[in-house]
Amino acid sequence: MYKSLVLGLLILTTFIVKGEKNSWKDTVSLKEVSVSVSVPLNNKEVVDFYRSNEFSTLDNMNARLEGLTLIKRGAYALEPQMNGFSGGQLNVTIDGMKMFGACTDKMDPVTSYIEPTNLKSIKLKSGTNCSEHGCNIGGSMDMSLQEPDEKGGDQTASISYGTESVSNSKNVLFSLGLNKEKWSWISDGVYRKTERYRAGNGLIIPFSQFEKTNLHSALKYSPNEISSLKADVLYDIARNVGYPALPMDVSLARGSLFALEYQRKAITQLKAKVYYNQVVHIMDDSQRDSLYLLKNKPVGKSDSVYMRMDMPGKSSTFGSYIQLMVPWGERNKLTLKADHYTNYSLAEMTMHMRYAGQAPEKPMYMQTWPAMLRNVSGVYAENSSYLTSNLMVSTNARLDYNIDQLDSEYGPEQFGIFNYNVEKVKTNVIKSINLSAQYHFETDLNLTATAGHSERMPTIGERMGFYLFNAYDGFDYIGNPNLMSEQSNFMKATFQVTKPTFKINISPSMSFLSDYIMGITDPGIPAMNFPAKGIRVYTNVPKAKLFSTDVQLMYTPTDYFTAFCLSKYTYGEINEGEAMPLMAPLKNVLALQYQKNGLQLQAECESALSQKRINILYGEQITPSFTVVNLKSSYEFSYSKLSFNTSAGVTNLFNKVYYEHLDIGRIYRPGRSVELYVKVGY
Amino acid sequence: MKTILSKLSILLLLSIFIFSCKDEVKETTTAVHPLEGLIKLNEGYAAGAKVEVWGKKNYFQGYNNLSVVLLDSANTKDTLKDAHIHFLPYMTMPMMKHACPVENPGALAINGVFPGAISFVMPSMGGTWDLGIKVHNHKTGKGGTAMFSNITVDSPSSTVLKVFKTPANGVLVLSMLAPLTPKVGVNDIEFTIHKKLTELKWPADTTFTLAIEPTMPSMGHGSPNNVNPIHYKNGHYKGKVNFTMTGEWKIGIVLNNDTTIGTSANRYFNITL
Repeated sequence: MYKSLVLGLLILTTFIVKGEKNSWKDTVSLKEVSVSVSVPLNNKEVVDFYRSNEFSTLDNMNARLEGLTLIKRGAYALEPQMNGFSGGQLNVTIDGMKMFGACTDKMDPVTSYIEPTNLKSIKLKSGTNCSEHGCNIGGSMDMSLQEPDEKGGDQTASISYGTESVSNSKNVLFSLGLNKEKWSWISDGVYRKTERYRAGNGLIIPFSQFEKTNLHSALKYSPNEISSLKADVLYDIARNVGYPALPMDVSLARGSLFALEYQRKAITQLKAKVYYNQVVHIMDDSQRDSLYLLKNKPVGKSDSVYMRMDMPGKSSTFGSYIQLMVPWGERNKLTLKADHYTNYSLAEMTMHMRYAGQAPEKPMYMQTWPAMLRNVSGVYAENSSYLTSNLMVSTNARLDYNIDQLDSEYGPEQFGIFNYNVEKVKTNVIKSINLSAQYHFETDLNLTATAGHSERMPTIGERMGFYLFNAYDGFDYIGNPNLMSEQSNFMKATFQVTKPTFKINISPSMSFLSDYIMGITDPGIPAMNFPAKGIRVYTNVPKAKLFSTDVQLMYTPTDYFTAFCLSKYTYGEINEGEAMPLMAPLKNVLALQYQKNGLQLQAECESALSQKRINILYGEQITPSFTVVNLKSSYEFSYSKLSFNTSAGVTNLFNKVYYEHLDIGRIYRPGRSVELYVKVGY
Repeated sequence: MKTILSKLSILLLLSIFIFSCKDEVKETTTAVHPLEGLIKLNEGYAAGAKVEVWGKKNYFQGYNNLSVVLLDSANTKDTLKDAHIHFLPYMTMPMMKHACPVENPGALAINGVFPGAISFVMPSMGGTWDLGIKVHNHKTGKGGTAMFSNITVDSPSSTVLKVFKTPANGVLVLSMLAPLTPKVGVNDIEFTIHKKLTELKWPADTTFTLAIEPTMPSMGHGSPNNVNPIHYKNGHYKGKVNFTMTGEWKIGIVLNNDTTIGTSANRYFNITL
């Protein structure tokens, strides 16, 4: 699995390897550079990595990417966190398309509607320098969907099956491809079913099961060498998804996406896209024991009651963008982009109360995300230029115009309770500007420095959320309609050394945040839910700081053997010296790999230090350190026209009982698991 | 082909920029007839006038907003605009007889009607309600009373009036006037307090301090930022009550900080929304 990291490093250093000085001057090498920050999964090595792990979810991959950690609420739909930023602080897009989860409790990050089989590449950018697809402060993750390959064979097909012992999971994957003259088509899909998993101590973790189906299909028409028209359809449906860390589960999470794209790849490149996506997320507690005893009704004696809660959410986004890439002069490339999206979000809560022996009460209803339309239109410009053969300077800027339009009476009425006079329409403008320079020394050293300023809009939950229960700190959260945009001043430096057998990459970054958005306890508002400890209101905290660094080392003494090490560290501070909650401790992944003639063996050691720098007010507790060892092997061979790939592995070899600091509810992670996988391709 | 496509996509993009605008609808207000939405509850004759009593619905146990219309009995197309009107509700029970709190209309008609109110303290089940409308017709100078015997006073599905005895103030009548159509969010809440001095004298009491405690008994929680009602005129107390969700709410009332008798016993109203 560490291969994705190896890959990340490889790609990051690609341009150095290719960076003979002459090629740095032309536009071709510019393209190389622009690709270098992404992690293209169609790279041969990643395909290998992929094949041996194809039944793992996107989350398993993300956990190994640079700067990424995951917030865990269950076995499903982990929320990406990048250098300490998460949720609305990250731009998560699919081919530049905006898509938003529909769960008020962040149980369905956009990544949960995408499968690795759908993807061609993931492009990560950190800090403020992420505003290609919208102003933001923490970073971006753009996932490119798998594309039909007109240069591939006329027909391709593969089917695979994988299983994991710890959750008795069954995974079936397929992919199909067809090419005919100017038309090409692909289709890929996954079906997964897992049962509740077992932790290292044998404990079966309740509500950790899920079942999902994912289908993606793309059709491309290329009338000539430079133009193409492409249509994508993606449908992802998960049912019976348990969330052990939360008081509710998800009976249905459904994402669908439709996109139409036109591309023209001449000297000037043009890309235009129109898309629509919809997410429906139905959260309820129908699987939980909702019988509890209550006093004071109707005559003060204890009474047993049945309560059920439904929390459906819906988010649909319609958008489009048009992007131009124009090389100019000898050494410049200009990118221009105009985009717009309209998102409609609504989340509701209905409680059904029934006392023993009595008729049901009238349902209790509120809008936890009052129906809202968010319209964002933006323009983006970026210019990369080689000042000398060794120095490249890149600048980019973005301006977003935002209109929030409340679509129901519930929004203003509910917030009237907290003495807000909420306007139906609210507009604001946010901006982002970044400058980066990359210098290539005569030796094997490469230096990159980035500085920037950016802002981000509060999310719908932060602005208009109404009694959203946060299982991490046990508080109910209330939005703040007057919240100001969060701002960040960001700096990042990257040092890269590339020797034939040895590569090192160090990338420290620092974000100085102002008007940092977080929930602050309001003792004046009484708690509403039974388990809630109190109320927190989203507030602009004047100052916060985030420091993050990744160190990657790769050692390749022979052609068959690779050693790789990645360390991630993040330090967060709010106000003056107070620990920022939800910060992962120092984490380290060490991997050794042997690869020869289709056989691949790898051992991986994943460890984290104890996190003692915690925010007690936020409900954090010290998380102990852990070390987990994983083994993996795979073998590839061909027979006639068929290609086979088999793999076997053991995760958590020593059956360690552990959880990570970002695991909400401190639910134990899976114990020892034997994984088997076989793929047949044509 | 390429150019057409790129033009098309630009057009599409533009259309999206335009589509977020909405036409605003202008609201028009028209004068509402004072009896619009009301029904005629009774009619009779007194002091040379035809007396009509109008209300939103039939008489009920609680604070009844009533409109009296006086028509000249010589010419019933002519509305009287100047008269003194007294409400004389009277309940006959097996063991006792009593009246109830009233708010008599002013001497001058407003838009042709005389608005006033009666807080019926019990429904007709316990006895017989008679209602007298005493009229002093300033046009003719005559006085008289229209009697409506054995009127039906309904018992509402949700109680909006409570009668209780306090050690310090004797028997009090607490009526809840608003919210009539409660909604999620901020609602006006209004009460009247009347004191029973004798069986026939039920004057308004302006001296109380009120505190309200809305709760959802099924959920065990209340709502934040309620505004306790304060007296503004004639025994009317106005404040704000907040409902965070639909469902069954209970509004507990504390009088004069007397928590010992506060929400216990009988001192609350149920509101379902």
